[in-house]
Amino acid sequence: MGDHLARADDFEKKAEKKLSGWGLFGSKYEDAADLFDKAANSYKLAKSWDQAGAVYVKLAECHLKLDSKHEAANAYADAAHCYKKTNTKESISCLEQSVNMFLDIGRFNMSARYYKEIAELCEQEQNLEQAIAYYEKAADLFQSEEVTTSANQCKQKIAQFAAQLEQYQKAIEIYEEIARHSLNNNLLKYGVKGHLLNAGICQLCKSDVVAISNALERYQELDPTFSGTREYKLLADLATAIDEEDVAKFTDAVKEYDSMTQLDSWKTTLLLRVKEALKAKELEEDDLT
Amino acid sequence: MSKVFEGYERQYCELSANLSKKITSASLLDGEQKKQKVSEIKGGFEDAEALIRKMDLEARSLPPNVKATLLAKLREYKTDLNNLKTEVKRITSANANQAARDELLESGMADTMMASADQRTRLIMSTERLNQSSDRIRESRKTMLETEELGVSILQDLHQQRQSLLHAHNTLHGVDDNISRSKKVLTNMSRRMSRNKWIIGSIITVLVIAIILILYFKLTH
Repeated sequence: MGDHLARADDFEKKAEKKLSGWGLFGSKYEDAADLFDKAANSYKLAKSWDQAGAVYVKLAECHLKLDSKHEAANAYADAAHCYKKTNTKESISCLEQSVNMFLDIGRFNMSARYYKEIAELCEQEQNLEQAIAYYEKAADLFQSEEVTTSANQCKQKIAQFAAQLEQYQKAIEIYEEIARHSLNNNLLKYGVKGHLLNAGICQLCKSDVVAISNALERYQELDPTFSGTREYKLLADLATAIDEEDVAKFTDAVKEYDSMTQLDSWKTTLLLRVKEALKAKELEEDDLT
Repeated sequence: MSKVFEGYERQYCELSANLSKKITSASLLDGEQKKQKVSEIKGGFEDAEALIRKMDLEARSLPPNVKATLLAKLREYKTDLNNLKTEVKRITSANANQAARDELLESGMADTMMASADQRTRLIMSTERLNQSSDRIRESRKTMLETEELGVSILQDLHQQRQSLLHAHNTLHGVDDNISRSKKVLTNMSRRMSRNKWIIGSIITVLVIAIILILYFKLTH
């Protein structure tokens, strides 16, 4: 390890010297870039991520002076990957710079992918709003490149976070759109009932009873097989429980569904919210009577 | 001598027919009666074996030509006897369980009180077994649903990969076009280069010829 560190230091100093000196033929930037690359490699082997990231940033600047935006953007992306291990903010800023450069060149695919990475980093830091913003940008770019599956994945994440932040209408629309789109595709049609279930749960969170029954009917029309599934049964039961404001029935329906397939944490949080709302309403009713 | 042998032979044939009849009747019965029949058959086996031994001695004491045929017959009788023995074994082993069960349940049914308690325990056992099987069915249903979910996610991944592959396919077509264009450009360049070389070469030769002519005229004047 120490060996790599020493070699990396060596390379870096040589590159700096090249930059500050006057090279013949004006090829000094290319040589410096080469040396920087080797230095960054050795830093990575030595596992000193910060230094590697810094060197990659310098490498990117060299490439910019050489007017090769593509290389510079790649170097920024590499820098961001190194920073991911230690310092997330730096990596986010590096990724942003690389994304801007990719957008300039017109490589929307790569920029969309990097936007998705930024969004994932934000998600890890629990910064949901920023994550939503980045996921939206990524989804738009994917859509323009006609890579619909990645776009759908990003949109799913957006809907998830939106529901967590209580922006239910947005989440409902996204889920319904995804479901409609997946119906046409042979490969994706088995996932439709999952999406409809998510949409249904968001509807329940809005606690608008008429809308819920309308929505259930709509989903019926969309997908004829939906009414046979357990998901539909669960939604119907929950709808009736909310109608009758019966918490026990609600809990029973949820327990029955849970005994077959474990409910994941997102669904549990949302259903818990509905249950609390229901309980509050029940107490309210009791108070009035 | 062979008359003695023939006498033994007849006895043996009678005995073996008897035994086979008893075996078939024993397989139809069960329990105590079966046991009686089986012990009778076993006695019959012993008699048959004694007869065979006597026949053997007789056959060996006879002259060789007749001996050969008689020994062959004897071997046949021995295999026959072995078959009968295996049959009896089959019957008894097939119903050792049955016999034990009969004994068990017989003793159980002897007492009427014991009988109802037995029935009750049997009912309890059967309900337990039904519950167990329904539990197992539920578990298998759970596993099946999990597998279905897994399958759905695999399908989604496949879809994504399909799109990536199509995208790469298209990009490669673009690359192909670019490569053919660059090939044309390069051939153009090389052609122009060779053309320039020829032009320069011809200009140099013309100039050299001009210089030589001038020198020549200068020198001859």
